[in-house]
Amino acid sequence: MLNLKLYESDVKPDWCPGCGDFGVLAALKNALAALEIPPERVQISSGIGCSSNLPGYIRTFGHHGLHGRPVPVATGIKMANPDMVVIVTAGDGDEYGIGFNHLVHAARRNHDIKVIVMNNEIYGLTTGQLSPTSEKGQRTKTSPDGSIIYPLNPLSTLLGAGATFVARGFSGDPKQLSSLIQEAIKHRGFALIDTLSPCVTWHDIYDKVRAKMYKLEGTAHDSSDLISAYRLALESDRIPLGLFYRTEDRPSFEELMSEDVTSIYPVDNARNLTAEQIASVMARFS
Amino acid sequence: MSTNHTRADLTLRLGAAAGDGIQSAGEIMMKTLSRSGAYVSTYNGNQSLIRGGHVWFHIHAGEMPVYSLGYGIDYLIALTQLAYDEHYSEVNSGGVVIYDSSQVKAHDFPNGVNSIDAPLVKTALKYDKRPIMKNTVALGLLGGLLGLKFEVIADTIGEQFAKKPDVQESNVAAAREGYTFAEQHAPETMRRIKFDYTVKRSIMHAGYAVALGAVNAGCRFYAAYPMSPASPIVHWMTANARELGIRVFLGEDEIGVVNATIGASFAGARAMCATSGGGFSLMQEAIGQAAMTETPLVVVDVMRAGPSTGLPTKTSQGDLNMVLGISHDDFPRAIIAPRSPEDAYYLAGRAFNLAERYQIPVIILLDFAIGDGGYATIDELDFNTLIDRGKLVREVTKDMTNGVWFKRYSLTEDGVSPRALPGTAGAMYVAKTDEHDEWGHDLSDVEAGLRTAIQMREKQHVKRMSKLKGVASEMRPPELYGPDKADLTLVSWGSSALPIREAIPVLKSSGFSVNSLEFFDIFPLSADARSMLRGASRLLNVEQNITAQFAKYLRRETGIEIKENLLKYNGEPIYPAEVVDAVKNALKHEEMKQLA
Repeated sequence: MLNLKLYESDVKPDWCPGCGDFGVLAALKNALAALEIPPERVQISSGIGCSSNLPGYIRTFGHHGLHGRPVPVATGIKMANPDMVVIVTAGDGDEYGIGFNHLVHAARRNHDIKVIVMNNEIYGLTTGQLSPTSEKGQRTKTSPDGSIIYPLNPLSTLLGAGATFVARGFSGDPKQLSSLIQEAIKHRGFALIDTLSPCVTWHDIYDKVRAKMYKLEGTAHDSSDLISAYRLALESDRIPLGLFYRTEDRPSFEELMSEDVTSIYPVDNARNLTAEQIASVMARFS
Repeated sequence: MSTNHTRADLTLRLGAAAGDGIQSAGEIMMKTLSRSGAYVSTYNGNQSLIRGGHVWFHIHAGEMPVYSLGYGIDYLIALTQLAYDEHYSEVNSGGVVIYDSSQVKAHDFPNGVNSIDAPLVKTALKYDKRPIMKNTVALGLLGGLLGLKFEVIADTIGEQFAKKPDVQESNVAAAREGYTFAEQHAPETMRRIKFDYTVKRSIMHAGYAVALGAVNAGCRFYAAYPMSPASPIVHWMTANARELGIRVFLGEDEIGVVNATIGASFAGARAMCATSGGGFSLMQEAIGQAAMTETPLVVVDVMRAGPSTGLPTKTSQGDLNMVLGISHDDFPRAIIAPRSPEDAYYLAGRAFNLAERYQIPVIILLDFAIGDGGYATIDELDFNTLIDRGKLVREVTKDMTNGVWFKRYSLTEDGVSPRALPGTAGAMYVAKTDEHDEWGHDLSDVEAGLRTAIQMREKQHVKRMSKLKGVASEMRPPELYGPDKADLTLVSWGSSALPIREAIPVLKSSGFSVNSLEFFDIFPLSADARSMLRGASRLLNVEQNITAQFAKYLRRETGIEIKENLLKYNGEPIYPAEVVDAVKNALKHEEMKQLA
């Protein structure tokens, strides 16, 4: 276990007191320290929203980018330098709304990136509008009479997209969340941790989650069984927390890539072509 | 039709329906000519379909460098009625029309045009149940008329069908029949050029050239979503990925593509992506992000006729305003527009140095005419490309950190801050697309509007924009083509320079004194551009969009208004004859005014 102080930023989070995101930040630091990954080997990419401010609050490499785009940014980083542990921290708007296309395809390609979605079922920073995971009937600034739309189910959708690691965490249980993050980092491939992280100001779901949640650890659930994982994902009366599904049957994109392409990272490879390569390439132009 | 009889060159046009193999025949002819010492420049008149319709392949070949489609058509192969009807009127006096009367009803031969009615289909049917080799018979016939060595044609055909040995032999035999037919039926006089079989010339289009230039400059990450006419770049990158060690990301859309490219560049790879106008429109927000996070970025836009989906396989220079105004608010950028494939190779290499020295987005504007749509001969390339990665910090010293963060956005005189890569010990920082201070702290939330944050915002904004001074000092002025002094100076950017080069000698032989200023470094404008424009006695702007985007840009930057324009925006490339006519009209009009 590394000292948690190694990851300490000089910025205090601007989250509201009681915000779920504090729990996610603590769990993430704890997971990195437990796995003894030094800060310079960690890359965290985020989007826009309260949760996406996270990279500023943890001392690792960070990329605080555009709304919805942290997954492709993380993908490019991982492909260029596979030595980095590449993590995405973003919100439900980023990942299940504007950037959903990227998330689904990163899962399908099995990029070795770990996506932690802080899902609060609301657009918080923009002062409380409907999000893709807002419940039917939920009253928000953009659904004053209650939402008429069913929410997106991120877990079943990602299972369908071919994600090789799918889990659900809860910011109110940083211990379980930390162990899920550790498992995700150890997983060879794409990982999604949908993390229920309540917004105490615009849509407080602490009570709902606590009333309906149960942990998968110790249950009969077999996380290598895709069909059982789907069944869990479709549960609506209760909220299962833990690892839904994991398979290492499929190699990660980066593993497949290094078989295809010289293993020298592009980062170390900014040089002219060799005489042999030039001769071979130019022969095809004459 | 203006013709140019002073030069040892000729033009060939092959027209057919898509699926008739006319592009393949055209490419074999283009390669054969290049392997026979000729310079070539080609144009691919294709459509956005796989079969049917009408497609044509044009080759301009010469004993000396050729740049554009040339003047008219010296040899026309018309495999379909539509090909005949569309092109016969452009055939030059002394030219030849080759057709098969079982397929094409010939009519209205222009004066002095020869015709050859050849049994292309009947001959092709000897080799296959379907007449699919009629293009090969025509190709052999054309080779015979031009007086090319049959062995060179046969070798090139053999190579083209290397992966289909079963049809390799029959194609060579079909071509041989066409070749023999030509020997028996050639008109007495034809426009010819001399071949030198000891000289083999390389040919490339700007899509391939930009890819090669990038990779030789160290680019090892490439991302793309298919879009005509940028797709050949991703084809080349994937075909060469294994051998050259290129990591290729095939994104789900152009937004993913450009963000992944930014990620790879942020991680330290030299990274590039390419698209056409529609894809570029999607990329704009992220290009602003790269400027804000000060991440080097090279993006290629191979322009096609728009707006919107427009004409996917037709050419245009209509994207200049878009790239001058990419995304919201001000940020530094560089815009480069290669004139030719050779230019594209060199300017791609240079783009990476500009991007990394100044940590800015660099946009390379190509167009269909020199990209997907046209090959050209290239001289021997210099592969000793300079790789300057700018202020890249490999080891962090104490003065660069506050014990927590690396001072990534330090305020410097030239606006460029030292950059460290993820993985570097002690160099942790957060790249910020929100406004930030020197350490990468957000100025957008708890500090926004506070006095220190207001001052820092101003400083960071000025710092970023001040990089343009450095970029401008590296920008090159337009190159002068033709005589130093002239009655009229043509102004062009990017590929529009090429037809002008072939108009100038023709104008000279008609007594018109004309030169041209070829812009390729577009933004920021070289400091010398203004005085060079001022020095001209009269200016005529040539470009391929409807509003004279470049002329208006020049006016904004230099105060010089160019009142005369040759603007083409119908999707077809500019022909040298059109430049000749525009200049003659302009100068004659002037004479009339003086007489009056």
